Amino acid sequence: MSKKKLIYSIERQKARWGWIFVAPSLIFFSLFSFYPIFTAFYTSLFKKKLLSLKPPDFIALGNYLYLLKSPDFWNSMRATIVFTLGTFIPILVFSLILAIFISSRKRFQNFLQLAYYSPAVLSSVVAAVIWLLIFDPRGLGNQWLNFLFRSPGVDHKWLANSIMVQLSTMLVYFWKYVGYFTIIFIVGLASIPQSIYEAAKIDGGNDWKNFWYITLPLLKPTTILVSIISMLQCLRTFSTQYLFTQGGAPLAPINVITLNIYHTAIRDHQIGRASAMSIILFIIMMLFTWIQFKTSRADEISY
Amino acid sequence: MKKISIILFLIMLLSLTTVVANSMEITFWTHEDPNRTEIEERYIAEFEQENPGVTIKRVTSGSGQIQELVLTAFAANQGPDIFNMSIEDEYAYIVNERLSPVDYAACGYPSLQAIYDAYLPGVLDPVTYQGKLYGLPLELTNWCIYINKKIFREVGLDPEKDYPKTWEEMMEVSDKLAIREGEILKRRGFDFRYPYYLVSWIPMVEQLGGKLISDDGKTAIVNEDAWIKVLDYMKEWGPNGRNLGSPTYTNARKLFNMDNNDIAMCLSGLYQQGRIKADNPEFYESGEWMIVPFPIFENAVQDVPCAYYGHYYMVNGQKPVENQQMAWKFIAYMLSHPEEYLTKVNLIQPTKKLIESDTYRSIPYSDVFRDDMAKGHIVYYGANSAKIQSLIKEAIETVMLTDTSSSDALQTLKRKVQEVLEED
Repeated sequence: MSKKKLIYSIERQKARWGWIFVAPSLIFFSLFSFYPIFTAFYTSLFKKKLLSLKPPDFIALGNYLYLLKSPDFWNSMRATIVFTLGTFIPILVFSLILAIFISSRKRFQNFLQLAYYSPAVLSSVVAAVIWLLIFDPRGLGNQWLNFLFRSPGVDHKWLANSIMVQLSTMLVYFWKYVGYFTIIFIVGLASIPQSIYEAAKIDGGNDWKNFWYITLPLLKPTTILVSIISMLQCLRTFSTQYLFTQGGAPLAPINVITLNIYHTAIRDHQIGRASAMSIILFIIMMLFTWIQFKTSRADEISY
Repeated sequence: MKKISIILFLIMLLSLTTVVANSMEITFWTHEDPNRTEIEERYIAEFEQENPGVTIKRVTSGSGQIQELVLTAFAANQGPDIFNMSIEDEYAYIVNERLSPVDYAACGYPSLQAIYDAYLPGVLDPVTYQGKLYGLPLELTNWCIYINKKIFREVGLDPEKDYPKTWEEMMEVSDKLAIREGEILKRRGFDFRYPYYLVSWIPMVEQLGGKLISDDGKTAIVNEDAWIKVLDYMKEWGPNGRNLGSPTYTNARKLFNMDNNDIAMCLSGLYQQGRIKADNPEFYESGEWMIVPFPIFENAVQDVPCAYYGHYYMVNGQKPVENQQMAWKFIAYMLSHPEEYLTKVNLIQPTKKLIESDTYRSIPYSDVFRDDMAKGHIVYYGANSAKIQSLIKEAIETVMLTDTSSSDALQTLKRKVQEVLEED
């Protein structure tokens, strides 16, 4: 047997095992991700009522054209963009700051990691319910702020003002996820070799210069990863806005796309239109994922 | 030996098949109500004993969740055999032909007309579609004002004389009863049932001559002046006006039972009495609460009290015929105890016999509810009533909680409701 043939056969064997290991997740994804995506796209081409037993009418891109002309849809796009920008930028900045703070501690590192990470373990619904109690006019939110600013009796209208309700949803998300992304940054920081800092120290670098010229550039892939993941998380936000509107908050300021999809499907029974909206959201998310792949490949770092 | 084994196996298989064939499980989804659970669990046990092989599986969910649970189950063709919701949510199931018509024979009636004859006139109209009857009422409810007399007396008001008869008085009395710490309300005088606008808010518009949908069913929002006046009233009620209440505060009806100085008045049905009794028997027995009619505006053009709504038991038309018949038989069995539903759960099943009974008359303040109901009408229902209700919610809460003017909110509401009508 020639050497080439032997290598080829070993590679084929390895590849076969590779396929065997990958197959369960491929089947899982095909069943629970790809199939619903194709079904949603197919449904989006029909005028279909959720409860109707009659065959739906094929309207091609009719649902998409309706959405592009709908003020409600554009309000949802606005609400989603405002929420995403208002949440992922603070998450990115503060999780980096917290990660550097925790990594620089000699004691209580594990405790701090656990403390910041714990809200991420809570379900979004539980988190929103806790914050609903805090944002009650007689709740802790008003009490804390009034104690801090020495302004007794002021109602900060956490849920009863269009600007404040948007800030409140951002605050809940920030609280819930800042710890999660801090952990990712801590892992990124740990992967930077100490020898680089030692070399910089010999060359006379201080902590500030080290941060700007070593830490931040070498952390770029992690930063991009965190920014894209947090952005995708923010685009998919639902439970906080849903529970806040159930708790009496005005809908329009926080009517993000996912909430609009829910209302269109469950309240209005317009499953075709809701599917079209979810396909648009999917395209937006795919676009960001593509950007992530492009940028992260360009920034691969090896030590 | 081999032959004997095969015969034994076949006998076992046959007996197993017979057992399976004779057994039937009826799934029954309903909203949480501890008082009702107690009696219905007993009815289930009794019914199962009378009908060997039949199992009734009763599943409860929160009153805010059941609509989406039933909807998603039906969308996947996996709906329960029996369910109940408010008629605004149920009507879409009727027009989409997802239900089984009432089987009068299984219910023990000699004819369909006999069912209509047993109930008060008109109460079965919402569940009658194209000549068929699709539901039987678990309850027919309207709301009046519950008052905590102690709080009235505390601020120097006589509850028997000074209770609010008009919406203008409601604002003044609530202002007197409210306790504030700066802008924060520590005690509210009264507050609305915020999500249920079709039941309790549309009648306020109607008092001033407005209408949700024109008589020909083609135009949304009739008499804009009336709508704007009531939206202005809500704006004044809210945190940007006289700060008397808001949808962001805890539900007034739930707080009322506790009698812990949080709320002086709330809007609720006769069933609230059963819940006060269960939550706070001491308050119930104290006699420190009373019920008064739904107020009207001073310059009202018509006396419209709170609308009444029905929860109807319905049967899934996609289940096998035997299941449908058994489901109707079980519903009829439950509904054959209207007096127990009234005395234990304070639910009114609107049969002529019950309304004329001494039991009904002996329930405290039943006359207040009866008189208001006689003047009122059933809540607006249609295939899209749930959507219209949430559009009204959006308009009212926008007016109360943001700087949007009543006329701007009304124009948005009108555009959206008109679109709903035209889509139908």
